[in-house]
Amino acid sequence: MKKRSITLYINGEEYSISVDVSDTLNHVIRNQLNLTDLKHCCGRGECGACTVLVEDDRYPTGRKSIDSCMVLAAMMDGKRITTVAGLEKKGKLHPVQEAFVEKGAIQCGFCSTGMIMKSVDILENNPKAKEAEIRAGLEGNICRCTGYTKIVEAVKQAGEVMAAKK
Amino acid sequence: MSNSRILPEFELLAPKSLDEAIDMAAQYGDRAAVLAGGTDVMIMLQKGAIKSPYIIALGDIAGLDYITYSKGEGLRIGALATAWQVTQDSKIKKNYTALWQAASTLGSPQIRNAATIVGNVLRASPSGDCSCALLALGASVVLKSTAGERVVSLDEFFIDYGTINRTASEIAVELRVPPAAESTRSAFMRMTRMNFDLSKVNAAVCLEMKGRKCTSARIAMGAVAPTTLRIKKAETMLAGATVNDTLLAELAAAVPRQVKPIDDVRSTAEYRRTVSGILVKRVVQAACAA
Repeated sequence: MKKRSITLYINGEEYSISVDVSDTLNHVIRNQLNLTDLKHCCGRGECGACTVLVEDDRYPTGRKSIDSCMVLAAMMDGKRITTVAGLEKKGKLHPVQEAFVEKGAIQCGFCSTGMIMKSVDILENNPKAKEAEIRAGLEGNICRCTGYTKIVEAVKQAGEVMAAKK
Repeated sequence: MSNSRILPEFELLAPKSLDEAIDMAAQYGDRAAVLAGGTDVMIMLQKGAIKSPYIIALGDIAGLDYITYSKGEGLRIGALATAWQVTQDSKIKKNYTALWQAASTLGSPQIRNAATIVGNVLRASPSGDCSCALLALGASVVLKSTAGERVVSLDEFFIDYGTINRTASEIAVELRVPPAAESTRSAFMRMTRMNFDLSKVNAAVCLEMKGRKCTSARIAMGAVAPTTLRIKKAETMLAGATVNDTLLAELAAAVPRQVKPIDDVRSTAEYRRTVSGILVKRVVQAACAA
């Protein structure tokens, strides 16, 4: 087949579309669905800027972080996917988003959406994650601007907020 | 015009069962490439290293992501089992430590959530971390076609750079690793610039130990030859020997003569040759300390 009809659930919304089989999930979300909060960067699974969360019941949190440039949209039929626009709840930013803003962890912003998605994943698994665990979890996300210091501080702060809420 | 349209055109085949996939492999042969986790194939498609007009994607087949272990049968890893799954498996960490260590450093956390161990072996990169660990552990790959099933030891699987013991009509369905004994110790180590990068050199050992005496050894290295390599001279030196500083020094001196590294973007032949012996020494020490 050259085209496939699929349904994607992105940030709780249902999208039933026909995709080119050679399009990545990243391309379909950005260019076909015009959800450009998701970024396209290296296209090779090296930078993590395109990180999304995809449902997977083998994982403790029910979802896993993947590089959206590394999967075919045609193979994601029926999947529930979260991008950064799906983090806010009723106009209130997610603790990770708030912490990134407060701590100055965003410079050019290009890595930020992927960095935030992966940070959410780390903290959902362990809101009390210490620096070494945070840095290990973020190994797949590259930042050219910040030197990571403020990013790690932001994740720690967000972790404290999320742990307190539990 | 969008630059996130990064793949060439192809026809997608999405079988719902292994039998269907095998029939497709028979029908399309070398006109089809097989896609599992995608973390290698997607990049090869972009680069033009894979030009197949057909892609057989295994992702819709249920039940291929198993990892099973028993003391009698050993370890079986299904075609869609990911590196992440291996890192979560305490039996693998204990009994097949080298594989657990190799899977733990594969790529990045996101890559590990998608990349399959079988796919890593089929890619047969000479610097492949899981290939190195699995060669030391004595693993075999199970290849299925319409003609039946072949179980190929990794000793016979990596034939030359870019050449594996697989015909286009076969699909790799499983990796098998023999049962580990109480006396089995294994370890894996790599040298790299940063975690994401491919290994400059890597090494894995699987030892049968009686106290400080090694009764048998399998040693594998990567990125020092056109394929992942067994270092048989070092294995002979270890077999029946007591592991002490003298033996370790002899090993470190002997290994550089057994490897055939080249210069490439990641390292030089000289560097690889120089560190190869030290890396094998350290990985033997790590296995013995386990």
